[in-house]
Amino acid sequence: MKPLTATVFVVDDDEAVRSSLRLLLKSVGLPVSLHASAQEFLASYDPAQPGCLVLDIRMPGMSGLELQRHLSLRGAIIPIVFVTGHGDVPMAVEAMQYGAFDFLQKPFRDQDLIDRVQRAFEKDASTRRDLGEIGRIQARLASLTAREREVLVLVTSGKANKVVAAELKVSPRTVEIHRARVMEKMETQSLAQLVRMVMEVERHR
Amino acid sequence: MPRPDTPSFEFQALLDAAVDAVILIDNHGVMEVFNHSAELLFGYTPEETLGQNVSMLMTGRDRHHHDGYLERYIRTGVAHIIGVGRDVRARRKDGHEFPAFLSVGRIAGSEPPRFVGFIQDMTLRHQALAAAQRERDRASHYLEAAQTILVALDLDHRVTLINRTGSEVLGRDEQSLRGRDWLQSVVVPAQRARVAGELEGLVGSEQRRPLHSEYSVLNHDGAERLIAWRCVVLEGTEDGPVGILCSGEDVTDARRAELAARESSEQMMHVSRLATMGEMATGISHELNQPLTAIANYAHAGSRLLAQSEPDLADVREALEQIAAQALRAGEIIRRLRSLVKNRITKREPASINDVIEELGPIVRADARANDVRVVLDLAPDLPIVSVDSVQIQQVLLNLLRNSIDALAAIPAGQREILVSSLRNDVGDIVVAVADTGPGVVPEVLERLFMPFVTSRAEGTGLGLAISRTIVEAHKGRLDYEPRAGGGARFVVTLPSEPEPSA
Repeated sequence: MKPLTATVFVVDDDEAVRSSLRLLLKSVGLPVSLHASAQEFLASYDPAQPGCLVLDIRMPGMSGLELQRHLSLRGAIIPIVFVTGHGDVPMAVEAMQYGAFDFLQKPFRDQDLIDRVQRAFEKDASTRRDLGEIGRIQARLASLTAREREVLVLVTSGKANKVVAAELKVSPRTVEIHRARVMEKMETQSLAQLVRMVMEVERHR
Repeated sequence: MPRPDTPSFEFQALLDAAVDAVILIDNHGVMEVFNHSAELLFGYTPEETLGQNVSMLMTGRDRHHHDGYLERYIRTGVAHIIGVGRDVRARRKDGHEFPAFLSVGRIAGSEPPRFVGFIQDMTLRHQALAAAQRERDRASHYLEAAQTILVALDLDHRVTLINRTGSEVLGRDEQSLRGRDWLQSVVVPAQRARVAGELEGLVGSEQRRPLHSEYSVLNHDGAERLIAWRCVVLEGTEDGPVGILCSGEDVTDARRAELAARESSEQMMHVSRLATMGEMATGISHELNQPLTAIANYAHAGSRLLAQSEPDLADVREALEQIAAQALRAGEIIRRLRSLVKNRITKREPASINDVIEELGPIVRADARANDVRVVLDLAPDLPIVSVDSVQIQQVLLNLLRNSIDALAAIPAGQREILVSSLRNDVGDIVVAVADTGPGVVPEVLERLFMPFVTSRAEGTGLGLAISRTIVEAHKGRLDYEPRAGGGARFVVTLPSEPEPSA
């Protein structure tokens, strides 16, 4: 597996623009990966790689907007900073509607680019963190037995052990044992955290 | 005078040689002479007719009249049939009736009067006439049924015949047109002289080729109809031309539709050439953005590298070299743009600058209306012709007008006005000025006004004035700016007028 360092992926058909971006991003210590076309990028990009995409909106062949669609369909969550020319504002608006992170007009100030790249990195990291957490919670949920899952649902809806025991027609003691197993499997000690986990999963469903 | 009971031999020979039937009658209508042709015509022998009343040769109606004619003539001396001749119905011995022409003359000096009658068999003549009439009827039927206009004129251009379609198109009936001068009463005044010339040429030419001509006629309510005509000379039997026959097709609506189609396609070409200009500017600005972006990035990178405690000088050198290379690349793009604009001058034609301005009307008015801008034209009449690519000059003017419209957004709606004027300056050049009541050009921008990429607008390419000046200069003219007296901007296009043809 490749090292998961956040990288700036640059896709621009203009060689001079690509090279200048490489030098600029290198001067501020950001790892760069250059691509001359959308197709070339798609062929080599692994969605697990974190970072952000600096994407020219107007390119021969597959345009920046089309690449954005392709990435969405692949479930790639990498934030996209579009780079546009003067007349491309309507395209930029469209890109934003499809969930682009931000856009920059050529030519741009270096600090504007660097700021956007930094914020895109943060956004990418937090999304990946969230997704990673959800993934872990879902994995833990999957390890519960059917009875444990019933107990989880009733407990996180705020019902006391005795009420749960009555509804499930088992002894309160049995409920206590199941509840302890649920807490153990979900790797938490507090009911509040358990509730939050359930809510998170619901939210991402 | 002795009454010759029997004609002399010579007289009889003369009578018998006559082609017409000849009959002599007395004042009671009694036949005294019945010649050979009369025998052949009526089938009677002289013996059967002499001494009999002439009415035996007539049919019932004419028989009755005949005696009356004689009596009346004798009584009044006024000839009805006598001395005049008339068409009658005659009857042969076998009862067959036939048309005849009877002329009767009084034998001079006879008293009581005696008469000589000449009778011509009109059967063949009548048949021929009837056939000719049928032919005419059929022809006139075709004439009337024809969808085309048919007009026959005599050599003085008077109407001798016009068919129903012609009457309908003109809204006038045949009676009111027949005998009238076609040119004076129907052809629109402006085209009369030309049409007269064409018709004279047709009649005078040896070749007798049909004349194809288009001219307009006036109908009864003064509306013009454009007719496509085909005219041929009507030849008499031996005397040469006797008239002109013209067939015409009403092409008013067809021509109007063609014109509309042509105008709209010209308008489309116009718009597309204007659009191409806009697209070109967008394309060029995109292309120029690449080296400019690269230059900015390399320069920023260079600064940042140098700010590091141990800068990588090789990287800095690369940045500087690339800045130079990209600046040259940008210059090359500009050069290409300029030559592109220059090479686009392919179609210089003599034009009236006022027409060039006025053709922009539809495009500009919509824009102006949408932005509450009043556009006023002040065009000098009788300006000399200029030799220009009209579309390019229109692009320049359109660009100036759009700039003005944009600039006027900064002031209240009621005060937004653009004055477009044309005039001839002291040295004879044509001057077109576009002046607005907007804020004018700020001094900081003034120096670089015509440079590429100088713009005060967020969406502007900054190329409009630069391209416009290139176009005007390619026409050996000038594009200048001056502040408008009383505030606002005034852009002035000066074009050399077409030199007067040297004597």
